[in-house]
Amino acid sequence: MLLPFFWMVTTSFKSSSEVMQMPPQWIPSTWLWSNYAKAWSVAPFARYFFNSFFMAITTTIGEVITTIMAAYAFAKMKFFGKNALFAVLLATLMIPGQMLLIPNYVTINRLGWFDRYEALIIPWLASVFGIFLLRQFFRSIPDELLDAARIDGCSRLRFLWRIVVPLSKPAIMTVALLKFLGSWNSFQWVLLMTNREAMRTVPVGLMSFRSEVGTAYELLMAAAVLAIIPVLILFFFTQKQFIQGVARTGIK
Amino acid sequence: MLRKGILLGLIGLMLIGFGVFAQEPVTIEFWHSMSSGHQPYLVELVDKFMEEYPYITVNLTYQGGYGDTEDKVEASVVAGNPPTMVQLYENVITPLVEVLYPIGPQMTAEEKADILDGLVENNTFDGVLVSVPWNKSIMVLFYRSDLIDTPPTTWEEFATMAADLTVDIDGDGLIDRYGTGLRPYNPELFLNYLIQNGGTILNEDWSAVTIGDQAGVEAMQYAESLVPYSYISSGYLSDAVGSDLVAMFVDTSAGYYYNNKAAVDNGFELSVARVPAGPVNNKSAIQGTNLVVFDMGQTQAQKDAAVLLARFLIRPENTVAWSLRGGYLPVVKSAYEEQAWLDYLVENPEYIVMSEAMVDGFAQILHPNYGLMRGTIGGAFEEVILGASTAVDAMANLVLDLTDLLDD
Repeated sequence: MLLPFFWMVTTSFKSSSEVMQMPPQWIPSTWLWSNYAKAWSVAPFARYFFNSFFMAITTTIGEVITTIMAAYAFAKMKFFGKNALFAVLLATLMIPGQMLLIPNYVTINRLGWFDRYEALIIPWLASVFGIFLLRQFFRSIPDELLDAARIDGCSRLRFLWRIVVPLSKPAIMTVALLKFLGSWNSFQWVLLMTNREAMRTVPVGLMSFRSEVGTAYELLMAAAVLAIIPVLILFFFTQKQFIQGVARTGIK
Repeated sequence: MLRKGILLGLIGLMLIGFGVFAQEPVTIEFWHSMSSGHQPYLVELVDKFMEEYPYITVNLTYQGGYGDTEDKVEASVVAGNPPTMVQLYENVITPLVEVLYPIGPQMTAEEKADILDGLVENNTFDGVLVSVPWNKSIMVLFYRSDLIDTPPTTWEEFATMAADLTVDIDGDGLIDRYGTGLRPYNPELFLNYLIQNGGTILNEDWSAVTIGDQAGVEAMQYAESLVPYSYISSGYLSDAVGSDLVAMFVDTSAGYYYNNKAAVDNGFELSVARVPAGPVNNKSAIQGTNLVVFDMGQTQAQKDAAVLLARFLIRPENTVAWSLRGGYLPVVKSAYEEQAWLDYLVENPEYIVMSEAMVDGFAQILHPNYGLMRGTIGGAFEEVILGASTAVDAMANLVLDLTDLLDD
């Protein structure tokens, strides 16, 4: 599992001649730190990193809030057509993303959001998968807790934020981490919905090292190492909750 | 009185002059697929254009690979806001012709006559030059000259040499280096074989599928016969040559920089030759994109500015500059007589071969469904190369699939 990661890191320090050497040259003969400077200068990566962070953080916060509320409604509230509505939501997971690209492009244009942060953020503030995952988790919280809280005069909203959310921290962290990763790695959506370099993100920048006829692997790997550092840091800080969340919701 | 009259007349003439020559500023969007390798050269050319036409601002926008750009163009056309100018393959241009602003009618007769004949053909729709060729390349044979003294010139020689060069160097029972390399999804390589064997995809009036004729079946069987001696990978063949896995392969000339670098970096020598001739000819597929101007909400000034840019980019000195630095081949005849190009050929003789192949190359057919047909042809070729189907079965199915597309 670690081999591709190891290859990525060591390749980022290799010369172009060592990249494809057979048998593989696992350790570079000379450690070329200059690959990082070169990769950084190929595209405005500082701006791309800012955009990636901004997009990933805002969509993560937004999605966590909307999914918590929706999942609570589906898990703990009674209303007409709840199950049918939930089934419709789940059915949307089966629509291939590619099919929605053109309609979404048209919609974003008509809303006047094209090439703006709105296009990168607002459509991603809710997630059916997140709702499903949290609903399953919320259902495992005993109804008696809600009854007791209501007897004590606690409103639904307060019960949700003061009792359900703290109890569901691992599942919420899982949703948040998956969302952050998804946003951080988002390529096609960003490419489609933006034109200006100032609006683009790190994965689009990584494409700069590829062409139809060849790839500058050593530079691509240097940029890729830089791109995964924030994700790695996030994972190190949240891995306990992430693993708990995945284990307790049965998601693999 | 007379002096006053002369003065007023002069002022009037000056005002008329300003009216004629002063241009309103205009901004155009140019979507392209040139990543970091080629983008700086494109930026240089466009900067030069904006110096010459200071009233025009060109917003160059990188839209990812060709496929990404095509997806975005498709979406933008549906949304009704395509850019002013894009680089596209012919098969993508064909269904868009109605929303394009033809460039040819805005060009001089000399400019049009200067475009390489084969490239005029694949940019002409219903007799009108709609788009102009831009980053063009041709399929050629790359061979390891440290392993091969004389490159093969015929199919038979190629097949024999591929077999001879497939070797188990260390004697462990596994092949260490293959005679050739094949990318499984490669419709253009199959079309090389088809055309070299005298075949065609459709008949002349596009009323029937002819790819399944004897020439087509033989072409696919020839590809099938190469499989045992081929390193098969969907990756770049430059990676394979750099890893000492292949001795020769057919690839686009645009890949010369990467192929050569991979070989030289690893201590090998790589040379270029024309593709081996089939029973009928040694034509090979012209690849690369063309420039189009959209007529879908763009102002007349934007369309005029984009046409000016297209004409600028294919001027002899500019197509040469683009080719020298980008690894492509000039798209106009007079460029091949430019001193800069002639000097380049002296230093890089392999480009002589590429130039000859380019003049002789064949282009895509402009059937409105060609994009889908190309995908189907690529799929059939892939099945054969991966051993999922025999050449005969794949061709039989291909004919059925193409007939359906023809009838659509």
